[in-house]
Amino acid sequence: MTEMAEMWRYRGLIGNFVSRELKSKYKHSLLGWGWSLVNPAATLLVYSLVFSTIFRARPPASHNGMTTYVLYLFIGLVAWNFFNNVVTGGMAALIGAGPLLKKIYFPAYAPVIGNAFAALVQTLIESAVLLVVLAALGNAWWTFIFAPFILALLLAFAAGIALLFSLFNVFYRDVNYIVGVLLQMVFYATPVIWPPSQVLTLKHGAAAVHVLSINPLFQYVEALRDSLWTGQVPSASRWGWMVLAAAVSLAVGLFVFSRGARDVSEEL
Amino acid sequence: MSAGDTTRPPAVVVDHVTKQFKLYRDRRTSLKERFTKRRPSRFEMFKALDDVSLEVPAGSTYGLIGSNGSGKSTLLKLMANIHRPTAGTISHNGRISALLELGAGFHPELSGRDNVYLNGSILGMSRRQVDAAMDAIVDFSGLKEFIDTPVKVYSSGMYVRLGFSIAVNLDPEILIVDEIIAVGDEEFQRRCFDHLYELRKKGVTIIFVSHSLPLVQTMCDRAAWIEKGVLRCEGPAMQVVDQYIAEVNRAERERFEAEGHTRVDGDRERRGGGEIAVTGVTFLDVDDQPVLAATAGDRLTVRIAFQATQPIDDPVFGLAFHTEAGVLVTGPNSEFGGVRAGRVSGAGHVDYQLPALPLTPATYLVSAAITDRTLQHVFDYRDRAFTLAVQPGRSPDRNGVVTLDGQWSAPTTLDAEPSVPTVRTESLR
Repeated sequence: MTEMAEMWRYRGLIGNFVSRELKSKYKHSLLGWGWSLVNPAATLLVYSLVFSTIFRARPPASHNGMTTYVLYLFIGLVAWNFFNNVVTGGMAALIGAGPLLKKIYFPAYAPVIGNAFAALVQTLIESAVLLVVLAALGNAWWTFIFAPFILALLLAFAAGIALLFSLFNVFYRDVNYIVGVLLQMVFYATPVIWPPSQVLTLKHGAAAVHVLSINPLFQYVEALRDSLWTGQVPSASRWGWMVLAAAVSLAVGLFVFSRGARDVSEEL
Repeated sequence: MSAGDTTRPPAVVVDHVTKQFKLYRDRRTSLKERFTKRRPSRFEMFKALDDVSLEVPAGSTYGLIGSNGSGKSTLLKLMANIHRPTAGTISHNGRISALLELGAGFHPELSGRDNVYLNGSILGMSRRQVDAAMDAIVDFSGLKEFIDTPVKVYSSGMYVRLGFSIAVNLDPEILIVDEIIAVGDEEFQRRCFDHLYELRKKGVTIIFVSHSLPLVQTMCDRAAWIEKGVLRCEGPAMQVVDQYIAEVNRAERERFEAEGHTRVDGDRERRGGGEIAVTGVTFLDVDDQPVLAATAGDRLTVRIAFQATQPIDDPVFGLAFHTEAGVLVTGPNSEFGGVRAGRVSGAGHVDYQLPALPLTPATYLVSAAITDRTLQHVFDYRDRAFTLAVQPGRSPDRNGVVTLDGQWSAPTTLDAEPSVPTVRTESLR
């Protein structure tokens, strides 16, 4: 809890890391912030072609009866990109703050947390586009109000993981590569591109989904789809799992980081 | 010079602090090595600081001196909370503003103004506090027309000016500075000193590392001398610096004796008949020990060694002292000094003694010559062949070339006691 209090005292610094990240990100590019949408758009396009046309992925019907795979995929990608950006960006942010940490004292988590909020801004932009499209297609529904809470829990969960990995990465630079491989595997284990409803129709599908749903990211992605796609309230067990995962991840991340980061300025 | 505020608790207390660093022979940064190498013996422990204890009084200006690699900067980093002591504790009373590298937190793509906010928040200031100081920072840095330009186009001078302006204008309580004053042009340096003076008056504690001993003596109330990680002495700045200089001189003398030769920096010009030659010039300190670096205000003997190939009647020995810039300070000789040498033959030496070396700290070039009594025939003339380094000592003067060894009276004013005018006329007489 003292970590949280200190973090509040340094909110100005974290805020400045966020604005530094955002301001410098697309400086001197003609498209500017437009680039932040080009990447997800390209991913959407490629995945839609591959998985709906070739592999015939069939999403469950939306609240108003749509079965457009590209939109279903979009929701999953927003959640996944958010998690991915918080974790990989956080590791880079701590290494990048190295020269600074050797010269001035400030809490080493500030660049990691700052990056997480910068990633949140990116996610909010993507979400805004998503909501506009969904509303335009007539799939707006009151369950949308759950989305901010789901994203907040995902932020806490991702930030905890980012703190852990960014710290380990300072001591052993291989962590960066390990995380790259891990994230790729977790991506396919998370229902971003595949609808769980389709897996359930396979032999042993129910068992597979049961195992895969232990992964907290499974819950965050599916909760976001409950809220934005099928228009239902995420189940109580889903909420429980999400809150627990977020709390444990953040607590462990902060605890380990605050112990391990005291000599980080010597290792960077 | 205020000795710090003794009613307030000390600004920084360093209590039996030891700091060890790992010295990696080949930096261990991969997990593979962690698991494959049984013992992680790829590094040695290096003790940068060994059981150092000191207190920095609140409101004082405190200097850290010592040779390169002695541990001064490590201590500064520990005080600034950047590193953690291996053993012992460091406690602070007051907010620290550390300036270990000017403009360290600047992001090149952001404007000067954005960087002020970023740096301010790194130093623990809120946005409102930075807003309040913004005008002062921009004014002080003199970068008004560039403040909204990305700092990547700044010159290195502009970079440090902005960095310094931020650090000193953000209302620090304890300012930690690593060898800063050597930044910017003459005019900006002067402004820095003025500002540091203002901060001192406001009761800000200033801790800095410097290799400029005169600066430490004039600016600091107290100083600590650290050598090889050990605190050698701590106390009033004047005394600590004097002890440090004495030690440097002693070490130099030892080296000088070990090498066992007179330092000759090559003759620019050597002329003369050579009937009697200057074979060397040595400088002897108070204890008649040869030194390469003399101490201002101490007794100094200049010894001219000669070798005559034939008996010479009444040779005149002369010396000349030039500054490195080529200004002749003075050129004494034994004839003007009223000494008749008599008949000289073989090898020998003659001494020129100064009861209190009146030169200010700098390096001087020394010439030595031997002529006949008329000063017309030159036997040997070695133009600026010898070097004399003068270190700061007890002598108070720092500027110019010579010390006038004057005495200052206490100031008197006209509306004081009636006896005052007579005192003045006396002192004028």
